[in-house]
Amino acid sequence: MLLELKDYLGDMKRCARCSICKWPPLAQMKSWRFSQNCPSVSRYNFHAYSGGGRMALGLALAEGKLDETDEELINIVYRCTACGACDSSCKYNSELEVLWPIYATRARLVGAGCFREEHGPIIESLRREDNPLSKPKAERGLWAQGLDVKDLSRGGQADVIYHAGCLYSFDPELSAVARDTVTLLRQAGVEVGIRGQQESCCGSMAFQLGFQGEFIKFAESNIDDWNALGARKVVTSCACGFGIMKAVYPLLGKKMKFQILHISQYLDELIREGRLQLSKKIPLRVTYHDPCNLGRNSEEYVPWKGIEKKVLGQLIIREPEKTVRRGWEGVYDPPRDVIRAVPGIKFVEMERIREYAWCCGAGGGVKTTIDDFALWTASERIAEAQSVGAEAIVTACSWCERNLKDAVSAQGNRMQVLDIVELVKQAR
Amino acid sequence: MALEKDIYQQLEAVVGPENISGNQAVLWSYMYQPFGNTKGVWAEIMPEAVLLPQSTEEIVAIAKICNRHHIVFKAMSTGWGIHNLPGVKGAILLDLRRMNRILEIDEKNMFAVVEPHVICMQLQVEALRKGLNCHIIGAGSNTSVLASATSVVGYGPDGLSMGFSGRNLLGVEWVLPTGEVLKLGSLGSGAGWFSGDGPGPSLRGILRGWEGAWGGLGVITKCAVKLFHWNGPPKLEMKNVPPNYVLKEPLKYFRASLFNFPSLESLAEAAYKLGESEVGYFISRLSPAFVGLQMAGGQNYVNLWESGMPQQMLKYAFLFVIFANSEGEFAFQKKVLEQILEETGGQASPLAETEEMQELTATSVIKVDAVTRSCFRSAGGFNTSFGSMDTIDLAMNQIKAGTELKNRYIQKGVLMEDGGDNSATLVFDQGHLAYTEVLLMYDNHDDESTGGAMAYLADSNKACLNQALGLPIFQLSQVGTGKHGAFSPACGDYDKWQKKIKKAFDPNNTGDPTAYTEPE
Repeated sequence: MLLELKDYLGDMKRCARCSICKWPPLAQMKSWRFSQNCPSVSRYNFHAYSGGGRMALGLALAEGKLDETDEELINIVYRCTACGACDSSCKYNSELEVLWPIYATRARLVGAGCFREEHGPIIESLRREDNPLSKPKAERGLWAQGLDVKDLSRGGQADVIYHAGCLYSFDPELSAVARDTVTLLRQAGVEVGIRGQQESCCGSMAFQLGFQGEFIKFAESNIDDWNALGARKVVTSCACGFGIMKAVYPLLGKKMKFQILHISQYLDELIREGRLQLSKKIPLRVTYHDPCNLGRNSEEYVPWKGIEKKVLGQLIIREPEKTVRRGWEGVYDPPRDVIRAVPGIKFVEMERIREYAWCCGAGGGVKTTIDDFALWTASERIAEAQSVGAEAIVTACSWCERNLKDAVSAQGNRMQVLDIVELVKQAR
Repeated sequence: MALEKDIYQQLEAVVGPENISGNQAVLWSYMYQPFGNTKGVWAEIMPEAVLLPQSTEEIVAIAKICNRHHIVFKAMSTGWGIHNLPGVKGAILLDLRRMNRILEIDEKNMFAVVEPHVICMQLQVEALRKGLNCHIIGAGSNTSVLASATSVVGYGPDGLSMGFSGRNLLGVEWVLPTGEVLKLGSLGSGAGWFSGDGPGPSLRGILRGWEGAWGGLGVITKCAVKLFHWNGPPKLEMKNVPPNYVLKEPLKYFRASLFNFPSLESLAEAAYKLGESEVGYFISRLSPAFVGLQMAGGQNYVNLWESGMPQQMLKYAFLFVIFANSEGEFAFQKKVLEQILEETGGQASPLAETEEMQELTATSVIKVDAVTRSCFRSAGGFNTSFGSMDTIDLAMNQIKAGTELKNRYIQKGVLMEDGGDNSATLVFDQGHLAYTEVLLMYDNHDDESTGGAMAYLADSNKACLNQALGLPIFQLSQVGTGKHGAFSPACGDYDKWQKKIKKAFDPNNTGDPTAYTEPE
């Protein structure tokens, strides 16, 4: 299995309890107002809700100090968007894993049959309908009706496969983004195919909730299908899918004969090559929200396997040396370059960006199970966007977009939330 | 012993159900405390509940309930170290995380008013915008401003120009263990926050004295601290990627240099002279191991150490930073420095002269953001020994005693080999005072190593006593009673006074006495 708490004992036991996980990297803090990095501890406050607190819980669980069936423990474990901000901040000064012990703690609970009640229907929907949204599988490809695009579920192959993702496929408001994506790709001359009804979830939700078996099933099936379809590139709009395909799929050891691209990377490439030209002015002051799974969580993760050795008396070194995933090799510049390519646009950065971006609040299954927490987290991001005078937040993730839109709507706010594809479409 | 239901309900009524917990998972997360622990990472005594108060009024109400029912309470801010937990059974823990506001930055009078959970970095970024800066303790900018100002020690290497947290303390709002609210300094006479000593009651000696009461005398809910002139830009933009964020633009009139001296005596002489001449922004005695661990980790660090380069170049060294207000002042400070180096035989180390090291050093000097990198990363377990605040000469004697003693334990293989002399920080308050901590790294999950570290700490405390090297910061994890019991007879029986203070301010002994003292 991918997620074993015992694999992270060394990390959990060496947390310094310095609380650096609760802040953006200290040198990057810019104001008191936006000086937090962890939605969970910011919202619920007890130390258990922080990265360090979660390491302590993982260790206590591994050492048999806690009862897995404790309802409050389960609540704490799942009131976390698994955004990985704690992990990035910790690695500013250390090489400890923080996010993966969080995943492994969830897997441990699931292994003991302990999870939130709401998770049952999500997993059931994944099993029956290949999506976590309780939507009929048969309706998966409906978003593409009427589009001039090859539906590979009816046979054939394609050089580029567009994987829309669950939310873009089923959310009536967001599925326009999937349609626009295909339209833009076609306009750029890309031979693109979709899997229509046969497209299935990337497994990200299952992984993040700790259901490793379900995740592996989806991941292996997707890899096999994409290999069989002879695709050179798999392009997705789903940032959660992109993150999991880049960082976790390779750990399954299956050969992946295709390149994985997020749509923001592909649009950037097409714009640079002159295959997509943006000519229409959009006089808007916008900021960009980094989706966690497109950013820090999409960086390659190499689980460390080796031995710890003591040298110089008690100095602990790892053999082989560990590859440290600090989160800065995520996808940060392509979406920014796309935004900057739009004529007339005024791009402004928020305070917490890139590897230390504040999460939108939707990740880790939170949007579907603890919506009030998701909306609170989003409202903090909206306030941050407002603080830099943005009229619109551009993002590149269906879950971020859904959650930010819901929060804007709940607040009666005038902030626009735009998908990066939507922006490009408008600029054509 | 769980809290009786009606008491829990009374406390819950004060803070609200979302802000109190007696749940095991919540409590175990607080029990994880490696720093200061004598064995492993878990504390031995679990609090009965954790509360998250948000105001002075709530803390007053909690204290009164505790007094009525004889329940001990202990407050923590960021909570780094085992001394933040109650040391007696049946106690409750107040996590002051929700009291996190900067209430005021008074530009004209150069002070800030903060609540307990404001960390140094939060205050610094807000102060810089107003052309001001704040003292950051050596432990790093992730620590509470208020905690070091009012309750626990409080020195750091920028203290050369920005003093000592205890000295920087101005007006204070203090909830006594009884639940009474005491306002100190000018705040006590309704004159605002600007002074710690009047008009109004000046109880700084009682509140904190040299090292503070470590949470044993109630809860300090607000305090004002001095701010200092900042000559840099209002915002510091960073470049590069983690872990090496550095300033995008170099600071004007800023120069960081590492100086190596022929002996500890000449290093001390230079430190005296620099203090007397009132130049410099930051000074820190930096050991070869500390610098090496800032530069590299894992095998890279081992290679660096085994090359012998840091030991050779930094045997008796300090990092000295000039950060002047003008070109003229910069030239003047440089000239003073050059003259002092000439008189004391100090040589600039080429290590700090590269552009890369200048950038890295500037960031860490201003932000004090990379302390855990050098302390906890190497072996997991970390502690500090010696550390009394006194003269530069005494600090040098601490280094000598610490090096000799620690080397014995290094030879036994129970501590990390760091050359023995792994001491940090030097002069503050423009040279009037100095201190040094002798750092040690050990594996806190290895019984032999931990046992060795504890034996070293016990020996270092004996050395402090027998060689008149001053009070150490920590005495194993027994910050309070154990330390005072051992050192008080050699220091005018100060403990007797502390016990009287504890009795007078806390007749029911509801403020956790563990890290402070038992009442008379």
